[in-house]
Amino acid sequence: MSKIYGQGENQVNALDNVTFSIEKGEFVLIVGSSGSGKSTLLNMIGLLDRPTYGKIFIDGTDTTKLDDNKISSFRNNKLGFIFQFSNLLSDLTVLENVLLPRQIARTNNSAEEDAKKLLNAVGLENQMNKRANKISGGQAQRAAIARGLINSPSIVLADEPTGNLDSVTSEKIVQLMKTMAKELNQTFIVVTHDRQHFGDVDRVITIKDGHAFEGDLPSEVGVLV
Amino acid sequence: MDYFTIFVEYRLRLAKRMLFNKKGSLIGAVLAVTIGILVIHVNFVIFQGLFDAIVRDISNYRNGDILVTDEADYIDKSDLSVVNWFERIPYVEAATPRLSSTAEINMTKNGKLIEETRIPIVGIDPYRDIRASTVHETVAEGSYVFARNSIVLGSNVARDLGGAEVGDSVKVLVVDRNGEDQIRRFTVTGIAQSPGGQGFDYTAVVHIDTLRDMMKRDGETGSFMIKLNDPSKALEVKEFFLRSFPNDDFLAETIEESAEEQLAGFRSGIAMINMIGYFGMMSSAFAIVTIQMMLVNGKTREIGVMRSIGAKRKDILIIFIFQGMIIGAIGAGVGTAAGLGYTFYAKETKMSFNNSLPLEVSYNWEKIIQTALTSFVLAIIASLYPSYRATKLLPVEAMRTV
Ligand SMILES: Nc1ncnc2c1ncn2[C@@H]1O[C@H](COP(=O)(O)OP(=O)(O)OP(=O)(O)O)[C@@H](O)[C@H]1O
Ligand SMILES: [Mg+2]
Repeated sequence: MSKIYGQGENQVNALDNVTFSIEKGEFVLIVGSSGSGKSTLLNMIGLLDRPTYGKIFIDGTDTTKLDDNKISSFRNNKLGFIFQFSNLLSDLTVLENVLLPRQIARTNNSAEEDAKKLLNAVGLENQMNKRANKISGGQAQRAAIARGLINSPSIVLADEPTGNLDSVTSEKIVQLMKTMAKELNQTFIVVTHDRQHFGDVDRVITIKDGHAFEGDLPSEVGVLV
Repeated sequence: MDYFTIFVEYRLRLAKRMLFNKKGSLIGAVLAVTIGILVIHVNFVIFQGLFDAIVRDISNYRNGDILVTDEADYIDKSDLSVVNWFERIPYVEAATPRLSSTAEINMTKNGKLIEETRIPIVGIDPYRDIRASTVHETVAEGSYVFARNSIVLGSNVARDLGGAEVGDSVKVLVVDRNGEDQIRRFTVTGIAQSPGGQGFDYTAVVHIDTLRDMMKRDGETGSFMIKLNDPSKALEVKEFFLRSFPNDDFLAETIEESAEEQLAGFRSGIAMINMIGYFGMMSSAFAIVTIQMMLVNGKTREIGVMRSIGAKRKDILIIFIFQGMIIGAIGAGVGTAAGLGYTFYAKETKMSFNNSLPLEVSYNWEKIIQTALTSFVLAIIASLYPSYRATKLLPVEAMRTV
């Protein structure tokens, strides 16, 4: 899969013939220097943007063939997102934010129970009725994790989830994600600059100049064709 | 959080919260709708009020609810029989005959003779007129016509005669049916003055039998003024009358018909003023577009987040159209309340301008509801473009780092 931004002189080959597959339940880190194409890759996998060439399969579905409505549904029930900033809708409470993907999906069955369970798991049981802009950055990321998990997605995608946090809080968020991944056998794909915070993970993919490499650079390099 | 909050339409809740958390924008948008509606209500109170006030005065002073005339200039049927025929109908309050002509009036005051020509003169039946018309209430000084030789002068006539007062003696010249001058001496018993000048300010009023005498038209009548206790039955009574006298050459007009002829120009003026009101509404719609565009632009990233967690374009569209509906509903409510407040105030204080005729203020519920609905719909239409723009925002906006 390739992604080209712009045209002519301004053309940027943000991703150049990247090919790999990820198994269910894997915890995958995507690392690389700034501007290497990590976010671009995550946007493609998250169906927030379309690749210029190539295909993306999720659960066996060729997502490049879907129209906007289908892609929206796909994002809603197969994908969960955690972003670096302002993940939450500031006009809603923490609980309402976590419930939102369920409400969009119109599957309200036991929604509140599930949301509360997840908020418990991420340690926000006492914050859930606060407005989302009245909690700390670390708490917001916890809420985002809960929201990312509410529809039991195939993949949770996170772009710099700790990029905006101090290192103690970052540590806790990383641990939380790893715990949830293990408990729920949940696939995570996480873009990060904080390679060391994550310690042992199932897999690391390094992006360099739009190319993807298996493993941590520079020590062990295996080019992904 | 209870059962209701979970199942209540999340898009409506989001629309509401986004709006209510931006109080400035909400107030601005609601105010825009409110002012649009208020302008229409104020226009209506003033201009329709003025129109209705003039119609009211024409009806009260001159044309009644129904005015009966004849294809020929005079009605020769006995006035008693016509009046009795009408007053048998339960809807009829009273009927009264009138006769009109033009007079020359002169008066000698302080040794100076002042003469006024071409004064409209009306003959009335003192006993019946006070039941069918309110002209007698406009007599500011003295009393209404009661005797064969009493005359009531309109305030302008009295002034033009050099300041005629109650008790003064005037000479009146009327040309009779044979073209001969008939002169009589009258005593001024009253001066008539009406706010707004729709009354008999430019007219002289005498006993109908005296005028018949002078005009050599014994038993003849110029018109009958019919006052109803239920004005909505005017057309019915009129039709019944015309059907009952098929062989006479009677003409009959309801006040709507006769006022329409006299006030056609005024009507088109009101239509113009209403146009201005609707332009006001249009500009409040543009204000809503602007305010909502600001709201959408301020929520770019959040819209991206909603899209990234699966909200469809349609969902985003609906959220912002809901906002338009909320703005429209609150604006229509507040605007209508404000308009009704103004209308109530105008009615209670019998509002008038420059001591002119007091406005005839009414609550036109059909128009009030129509105005509220129009501005509600306009607010929704105004929200369409910003809502559409919101749907064009891409899910990647959620990733924006600033
Ligand atoms: N919308 C866009 N239009 C044009 N070029 C873009 C766009 N988004 C990204 N790029 C370019 O594509 C390349 C990859 O960008 P990307 O954001 O994926 O990098 P990144 O690895 O996430 O960097 P960082 O670590 O700083 O977040 C960069 O050269 C960037 O300038
Ligand atoms: Mg990035």
